[in-house]
Amino acid sequence: MILEMKNIKKHFGDHEVLKDISFNVDKGEVVSIIGPSGSGKSTLLRCATFLETIDGGEIVYMGKHAARTNAQGQAVYVDHKELREFRGYCGLVFQQFNLFPHYDILKNLIDAPIHVQGRSKEEATATAMDLLGKMGIADRANAYPYQLSGGQQQRVAIARALAMKPQILFFDEPTSALDPELTGEVLKVIRQLADEHMTMVVVTHEMPFAKAVSNRVLFMDGGVVVEQGDPHDVFDNPQEERTKQFLRVFER
Amino acid sequence: MTFSTMFSTMAIGMLRSFGVFALTLLGSMPLGMIVALLKKSRFALVRVVVSAYISLIRGTPLMLQLLVWYFGPFYLFGMNIGSWRFPALILGFVLNYAAYFAEIYRGGIESIPVGQYEAAEVLGYNRTQTFMRIILPQVIKRIMPSVTNEVITLVKDTSLAFTLAYQEVFSLAKQISASQTSFMPFLIAGVFYFVANYLVEFVMGRIEKALDYYK
Ligand SMILES: Nc1ncnc2c1ncn2[C@@H]1O[C@H](COP(=O)(O)OP(=O)(O)OP(=O)(O)O)[C@@H](O)[C@H]1O
Ligand SMILES: [Mg+2]
Repeated sequence: MILEMKNIKKHFGDHEVLKDISFNVDKGEVVSIIGPSGSGKSTLLRCATFLETIDGGEIVYMGKHAARTNAQGQAVYVDHKELREFRGYCGLVFQQFNLFPHYDILKNLIDAPIHVQGRSKEEATATAMDLLGKMGIADRANAYPYQLSGGQQQRVAIARALAMKPQILFFDEPTSALDPELTGEVLKVIRQLADEHMTMVVVTHEMPFAKAVSNRVLFMDGGVVVEQGDPHDVFDNPQEERTKQFLRVFER
Repeated sequence: MTFSTMFSTMAIGMLRSFGVFALTLLGSMPLGMIVALLKKSRFALVRVVVSAYISLIRGTPLMLQLLVWYFGPFYLFGMNIGSWRFPALILGFVLNYAAYFAEIYRGGIESIPVGQYEAAEVLGYNRTQTFMRIILPQVIKRIMPSVTNEVITLVKDTSLAFTLAYQEVFSLAKQISASQTSFMPFLIAGVFYFVANYLVEFVMGRIEKALDYYK
């Protein structure tokens, strides 16, 4: 088991965004998370990647607790140093790419491996060029992010996350900021990673993609997991009324 | 007085003006960064003090501030201010410009999208690395035009040193003009400031161009 999220609770002010959410991700598994806007999908990913702190529940990576709930019902995290190790387990691909504009593509990929993980420049560069090759953009290694199309930028962002050699990669609507004609190239790359059994959690509105690529689908609404299971069951034979309603919007 | 003696007398003033200019930049540019970071401190007291300092500096004339720094120690503590003139002058300039630079830096830091911090955090950069490697380089590019403006203002503001009877180029121009009943010293001073600012624009333009490799 790569990741266990147990009874996760998170609120902003008096708005309960995550109400007791639990899910697991096995090694090599691809989990898609779908759900209407505001249902807490991004918040869940941000909690899993330590960009937000949970209020209650447990986060367990590879059998080790990053956060647990104490007797008073409050979430407590491991200390700063240990948390860095947990951060190393997970990568996150943002909707808006968030590449570093002042670094060229290669430097975007090797800077953190060198300065955060202490890897050698030669090794980091070799790994980076390998990844860029896989993403089909090896020839743009010395370009700057602004010189790339959105689809290329997102592929660089995926490569940047992979360059850290994470155990699990999270995607938060990786194609939502892209023109429709560019989503295909990014989805193709994710599909390719799935074929290589990269462990991934993908928040997406691309239903056909989710159905084709994932081993499991989670439908979230109002801060709870309404339904989860095999993509064919969830998409073709949803049990919950809310799931049916939500999926109807995507059919035409 | 011939033109050349006039010019060579004033050349000393030009050096002094340049000295005030250079020392002010050297002191206020780093200090401004410290002030900008303190203004985002976790401690409310620090933020209040820093905000008060910035609004006090921006709300009063530099000329008045210079007088306060120079005469203040005498009136407050009876300090002998015989050799205090130049330190007071530089102190006044540095503290004044640091406040303005701090506001420029703060604006620049706040203009960096939060996604840059988040990307850095997920990649495991610590706070110092995030600031030095990711945020600061982008801030510098964004604030260059404002910094250029500020530096140009400083070139002209050095003439305020005459308030403390410091013999920089403007004070000398006034003196020589009065004693020689000549307009020439003012022309020389004018050309000096103009040329200095032309150089500033040239250098800053070069730096901006060098930072043009990304958007
Ligand atoms: N930092 C924050 N402060 C306050 N409220 C927040 C914050 N982040 C998210 N929220 C709120 O939490 C709720 C869930 O937001 P979240 O971004 O997780 O939804 P989402 O499922 O990702 O939606 P979308 O599909 O639009 O991306 C929303 O109502 C949002 O306004
Ligand atoms: Mg979202």
